[in-house]
Amino acid sequence: MRHVFVLLTAWFMIVLFYGTAFSQNTDNSLIDLDLEFKIEEVKKKPYSINADIEIKETIRFFDRNALLFKQKYLDEKKEDTAWQTDLDLTIEGQYQKDFIKLYGRFNGLFYYNDDENFESERKVEETYISFQPSFSWAFDAGKKVHKWGKGYAFSPSAFFSRPKDLDDPDATLEGYYSLSADYIKSMEGVLQTIAITPVFMPVNRDINHEIGPKDELIWGAKFYFFAFDTDVDFMFLLSDNMDDRVGIDFSKNLTPSLEIHGDAALVKDYHQYIIDADGNTSVQEYTAFNFLLGLRYLSSQDTTYILEYYRNGQGYSPREYENYFSLIERGFEQFSNTSDKTLISTSKTYSPYYNQQAAMRDYLYLKISQKDPFDILYFVPAITFIYNMNDQSASITPQMTYSPLTNLTLEFKTAFLLGESKTEYGEKINKAKIILSVQYYF
Amino acid sequence: MKKIFIIILLGLFSAIPAFALDGNEILKQVDRNLNPESFEMYRKLINIEPDGTKKEFVMFSIKKGKDKIASVFLSPASEKGRSTLRIGDNMWLYIPNVGKPIRITSLQSVTGGVFNNSDIMRVDYSAEYNCEKIETIDNGYTLYLKAKLKNVAYETVTMSIDSEKLLPYKIECYAASGMLIKNLYFKNIKDFGNGVVRPSLIETDSPLYKDYKSYIVFANVKKRDLADEIFSLNYMHKIDGLR
Repeated sequence: MRHVFVLLTAWFMIVLFYGTAFSQNTDNSLIDLDLEFKIEEVKKKPYSINADIEIKETIRFFDRNALLFKQKYLDEKKEDTAWQTDLDLTIEGQYQKDFIKLYGRFNGLFYYNDDENFESERKVEETYISFQPSFSWAFDAGKKVHKWGKGYAFSPSAFFSRPKDLDDPDATLEGYYSLSADYIKSMEGVLQTIAITPVFMPVNRDINHEIGPKDELIWGAKFYFFAFDTDVDFMFLLSDNMDDRVGIDFSKNLTPSLEIHGDAALVKDYHQYIIDADGNTSVQEYTAFNFLLGLRYLSSQDTTYILEYYRNGQGYSPREYENYFSLIERGFEQFSNTSDKTLISTSKTYSPYYNQQAAMRDYLYLKISQKDPFDILYFVPAITFIYNMNDQSASITPQMTYSPLTNLTLEFKTAFLLGESKTEYGEKINKAKIILSVQYYF
Repeated sequence: MKKIFIIILLGLFSAIPAFALDGNEILKQVDRNLNPESFEMYRKLINIEPDGTKKEFVMFSIKKGKDKIASVFLSPASEKGRSTLRIGDNMWLYIPNVGKPIRITSLQSVTGGVFNNSDIMRVDYSAEYNCEKIETIDNGYTLYLKAKLKNVAYETVTMSIDSEKLLPYKIECYAASGMLIKNLYFKNIKDFGNGVVRPSLIETDSPLYKDYKSYIVFANVKKRDLADEIFSLNYMHKIDGLR
């Protein structure tokens, strides 16, 4: 399968090379340029369907000495690398008649890797009905993504959405089933716009059960204000499963090239699940304060810098995290000496908390991207740094995106994880990763 | 002596019309001739690279007042559903995948190519610029415009206007350093109906993008009453519904 992918990619490259060369011969005369624009080209239909297909090859280079590698594989995995081929199809459709709109986005992922062979996953990312009786009012019912907060990589105030993938913060997310409304009011004066967005999210065994074990109606709201050229949101959420929380965010352009944004949230009675080096567990209850402060800067050379500092009040301290690693270390020793998996298994029960992204307290995120370097239009190289300030470990991700033809995007991405022993990025399963993808929209 | 007096008198009279011209009033008139106060339009943006490679974007836009404009991309498929909003100096981009508006700047370009966001989300020139000087030329006027605030894409703009139609035919855009950023050429004047007569094509080139060309083709420019609420972050993902 991987050979098929390599061949396909090579084929795409050849097509692109010759396609570009061919276009040079045929399309460089402005005499042929069609400057007529007939409105029939974009005549609106009540329905629309769009899709994108992505072929992706991921090569992971294992860090066999890493504790999370030992936790997952013990001594069962002999290979140093793992290959995975993904075929990812997303279909999006909508139907609009007067003030009623139906919308759906569906994703199907087919993948092949050495461990699982061929597998597939399907999910409904969004599907909802929207009722818009006026420009000020809208009501939505169904599975919908509510993305709140101003952070690029982190979003402490995104109360009603699933966590972002730090490796790909722009990726689409799967929504939750909810009922929501939107009221917008514009006015003259300093306060130019207000908007109120209440959200109701039922949790029971049929829908949204992944949120928590208790049946309940989670509800909350966001209040948006636009004044003094600044966006400000206040938000809250009331829930037993997710803990009550209140938040605020803002965003403003300080200069044409410099934007500042921030998110903050208080999570009341947050329960932090802790495990020590002996496998003893405890629960710590406190009000957690999460916040983020970020800048986005565009230089005169068209380089964009996104810098964010994130304080994760729900995160673990360096000592707590080190204890977790010590437990895995002892568990692996126990297994190596006696084949007893007790301690490793105990550590695994806490992996959903400790092994999640940004599980500690203080992070710096920096993404630098350059638009159209070397006079190559639609080419964007970028590099991303994620730095764990608590244990000085880091991840570095260089990547290149190129869109040489309409609706076609090529991406080459690598990731390197750096850190001492018993640090977050130093103990990840992979020490490096290479991703090559071709995405086509139609 | 009599001859000298007549020459001086003629010179004074010929100078009077130029002194009497109010550049800012002309600029406002140019704005209104370019588009109605509240309107909708379709635009096709074409980027052409030096090797002839062409990329097209089609967008539907609405504008209200001097400084509110919103657009949604209709094609290509990779950009479909992306929308932009500008209120005064504030600009946002909504990408369906990202699911929330993010702030962007006037110097960036949501499409790539020579046109930047300020060109694509153009508000009235009189909202951003004061006319500091006006010159009478053979077939019209040249307005020398200076930005009212610092946070605009071009510090100064030189606008050449056809005095009969009161429409621009060339605009030169300069950075604060005095460097020429780009030229905009307004061509193909077309009657869109209901009194809207304006250039249907803007061509641009730039010394910063040597051998690159970009065009904006206009279609269906027509007056439309629009609610203020449309020009808000919460409405950005619904702009397509206005078509």
